[in-house]
Amino acid sequence: MKYGLFLGCNVPAIRPDVERAIRLTMPKLGVELVDLEGATCCPAFGTFPSSDEHAYLAVSAWNLSIAEEKGVDVMAECGSCYSVLSEATHKLSEHEEERKKVNELLNKVGKNFEGKVKVRHTVDVLYNEVGTKKISSTITKSLEGMNAVIQYPCHTLFPSKVLGYDDPGRPHMLGDLVEALGAKVQSYSRELRCCGGAGGFSARAHLDAVKYTKKKLDAMKEETNADLMVVACITCLLYLDKTQQELTKDGNEYSIPVFDYNQLLALCMGFDPKEVAGISFIPRDKIFEKLRDLVVVS
Amino acid sequence: MIDLSNANNNLWKEVCGEAGDIRNCFTCGTCVLGCPASGAEESPLLIRSLVRKVVLGLEDDLLEDATPWMCITCNRCEESCPMNVHPFEVIMGIRKWQISKDDSYTPGAIVEIYKSGHTQALGKAKGLRGSVGVEEVPPTIVKFPELLEKFRAMLKETEIVKKYDYLFAGVK
Repeated sequence: MKYGLFLGCNVPAIRPDVERAIRLTMPKLGVELVDLEGATCCPAFGTFPSSDEHAYLAVSAWNLSIAEEKGVDVMAECGSCYSVLSEATHKLSEHEEERKKVNELLNKVGKNFEGKVKVRHTVDVLYNEVGTKKISSTITKSLEGMNAVIQYPCHTLFPSKVLGYDDPGRPHMLGDLVEALGAKVQSYSRELRCCGGAGGFSARAHLDAVKYTKKKLDAMKEETNADLMVVACITCLLYLDKTQQELTKDGNEYSIPVFDYNQLLALCMGFDPKEVAGISFIPRDKIFEKLRDLVVVS
Repeated sequence: MIDLSNANNNLWKEVCGEAGDIRNCFTCGTCVLGCPASGAEESPLLIRSLVRKVVLGLEDDLLEDATPWMCITCNRCEESCPMNVHPFEVIMGIRKWQISKDDSYTPGAIVEIYKSGHTQALGKAKGLRGSVGVEEVPPTIVKFPELLEKFRAMLKETEIVKKYDYLFAGVK
């Protein structure tokens, strides 16, 4: 099993500990990672997809062609990257004319896109290719006794005609993966709402976006006794972490540590917390301590 | 009352070339219900109203309306529209149409991508990256200046970069 690791922009620049966690955990589960040398921004929805359709598809095809040259499918953690690249693959395979036009641009710089590449998400690969059994039998530390809440990434669910791997109405895969680590997943009323962090909403109407996310955080606090929050998209991670800090500054208390799934997986495999989950606003020390004191299961 | 004397009856074609016929919209509002940005207090993103403006051909109104840029891109509207209006594609279509009429709508991030290949300054993350044990310079385009040259050459051939070349002229 081999995938081209598509890094995107936010993971390598702001949360390289997530990159570290992915690079350490996947090979342990038999997933070989290949670097996509020369990859760029996917490009994010707010950039070329909002301004020039051909430029958007050309940039996506640039990225996909790197994987195609290496004969691997693409794997992304970032929900936006997954969605943008999936949509581009769909558009380029549906519309031959468009693919021709894009290849005219690509060919001039020595590249070509045939459309052979599939775009996968880390959760998709972990659940559908690796499987929860293998994960449970590979970890050396369990999250038993801990309660987790889940944030499902919108960009991996909608539009389900074009992309996705889970049930868009009742997603469960990320939750099942968390339970494979021993934690109990608690559901809450606003579980399937967006985190509020992507696109122009939080940039252009910041207070409204914070208010929107506060409702989700309040539901978590009131309806669960979550020790931690698990996400599978860099935007959810950044935004749910940062927004809790922001609300706390205003005199409230929001302190549920947020983890990308691969970070949690890495901790359960015994990797160094500083390397795989060292960057956050809301302290993760309690979780680190609990795991440190655990006897290693054999 | 809406003044339709200056309406552009072809506006929906200009905006939604890719998305298809949006005149099927019967204003049920499902797109608005699921939208996170619809609850914004001062300037809520109301996709249904935007679709109406496009269908009715209210160009001036549409050009002044910045709410399409609040879209969170979650695609819930795209998932749930019962009439195949493709509301998310309409939002993206309006953004492109607005840029074609008024360059001040052009997202600055496309210049960043032209400049470095990314929306984030990966070059400045060396210390942070080193501290968690990954390569200081990731194996993306930031590591391969010769590929960045090619990437820029490709972008220079695109309509948006040609049309607004002055935005990219200062990039070294």
